[in-house]
Amino acid sequence: MIRDITIGQYYQGDSLIHRLDPRLKVVGVFIYLISLFCFRYVIGFLVAGLFFVLVLKLSKVPFRYVIKGLKPILFLLIFTAALNLLWTPGETIWKFGILNLTKEGIYKCIFMAFRLILLIIGSSLLTLTTTPNQLTDAMEHLLGPLKRFGAPVHEVAMMMSIALRFIPILLDETDKIMKAQMSRGADFESGNIMQRMRSMVPLMVPLFISATRRANELAYAMDARCYNGGDGRTKMKPLKYHSRDYKGYGVVILYLAVLILVTRTITI
Amino acid sequence: MDSIIDAKDLVHEYSRRDEEGNVIGINRALDGVSLQVKEGDFIAVLGANGSGKSTFAKHLNALLTPTEGTLYVGGMKCGDHSSDLEIRKTVGMVFQNPDNQIIANVVEEDVGFGPENIGVPTDEIWMRVEEALKNVGMYEYHLDSPNKLSGGQKQRVAIAGILAMKPRCIILDESTAMLDPGGRKAVIDTISRINKEEGITVILITHYMEEVIQADHVYVMDAGKVMMEGSPREIFARSGELEKYRLSVLEAVKIAMLLRADGIDLPRDILNEQELVDAVAELAGKK
Repeated sequence: MIRDITIGQYYQGDSLIHRLDPRLKVVGVFIYLISLFCFRYVIGFLVAGLFFVLVLKLSKVPFRYVIKGLKPILFLLIFTAALNLLWTPGETIWKFGILNLTKEGIYKCIFMAFRLILLIIGSSLLTLTTTPNQLTDAMEHLLGPLKRFGAPVHEVAMMMSIALRFIPILLDETDKIMKAQMSRGADFESGNIMQRMRSMVPLMVPLFISATRRANELAYAMDARCYNGGDGRTKMKPLKYHSRDYKGYGVVILYLAVLILVTRTITI
Repeated sequence: MDSIIDAKDLVHEYSRRDEEGNVIGINRALDGVSLQVKEGDFIAVLGANGSGKSTFAKHLNALLTPTEGTLYVGGMKCGDHSSDLEIRKTVGMVFQNPDNQIIANVVEEDVGFGPENIGVPTDEIWMRVEEALKNVGMYEYHLDSPNKLSGGQKQRVAIAGILAMKPRCIILDESTAMLDPGGRKAVIDTISRINKEEGITVILITHYMEEVIQADHVYVMDAGKVMMEGSPREIFARSGELEKYRLSVLEAVKIAMLLRADGIDLPRDILNEQELVDAVAELAGKK
């Protein structure tokens, strides 16, 4: 059951979006997310939604993959939508006890829901089309200027990519320890929350010990292969902008311009 | 001086501490080890758990520094950390646990990790990675995630990662201990071929007797000291002594050894009963 957890759900593919420079994708998603907060009329969602559909089509990622990302926040989505719908003060349309459906409420509910959905599916498109390694590479590059202020950018990126590599290994190990404890009568599945949390202790202790041991061995292995921090290091796969990436930046700016233009002229 | 490794009276001490950090005792992991390794040789170091063989291996890679004695690796003196990087470029090391030494999420990126660290230009990294992966027979997996590979395959990737740094010597620090028999055989075959074809010095640290058969020279360690040395044949002949050091010879290997000593033309690399049976059957068929 623990193996079902997927982190960094990358969708293998060879589309234009997959091949784009990860830096462009990170910057693009960042701008897209901010743009979702930059308009006050529903028409803005049409533009943002169309742009999303365009990128999705280009990426060839099936729509259901993107929708899967919404599952964890489904409850939050319905809950906040209902709250906004029924408790916003304003021009009443329908009233039942303390429930009060208003025109403003409908408006706010639509806004909130669309914004949340686009936020989630927009950013999941980034992780679906970019490998974790490319992502950390892009982070390292984009945060590069911080190095001047003494921030350990390379080290943090290295730590992130090693953490990603060890997630499946540690999940496997958790599974193994769990089964070993279960075979000796441990119970992880019944009882109330406090009891369940307490039953996790005999799981966490061996896991931490083994993780520290692994870290120690990994440090030896990295030392043995001459790892010496970021200085003087060359790259096997250096990030290089191609002409398509410049065009990509152009498209992002174009989107922003259209969005501003449309939301300024059409006020629905 | 054509010896790549030259150790003289090497001593390494661990201090044991109590909970407040006071020294309560000293363990001698290495106790006066002296040995020379000629460039291009295949050396095996045998020893049971706690014999000091892994401690010795970590000295060769400048991961540990000697408490006493001197150690030269490729003509460089170990101990003052000034030439650590140069030493690690000369001597590469493959560790025991395959999972804990693979750094990247893709096989080819892991092999490229070493060359990246020593500042090899991008184009040459790609050439070296391809060459190293082909050398260990893992090129078809170059785009896979290491998590998908078996233990023996991961160790071969780790060997490729070392080869890509173009060292003069490779140490395998119990690299076969966690593998199944098939994986062990694949790793040993790979490493002995690399030794013969590329002329890279190999130092194999192990507690499996049958793996040392292809070595040129065998050292047996116990309690931090070198107790026996000689060719595999000489070592195997003293099986009584070996058992004193908690090492035992597989029956099939012993029988093959004795048969060869009697002039029967069996291959030198018999590792298990099935191989012995097959080889004898083949010989009988010829006659």
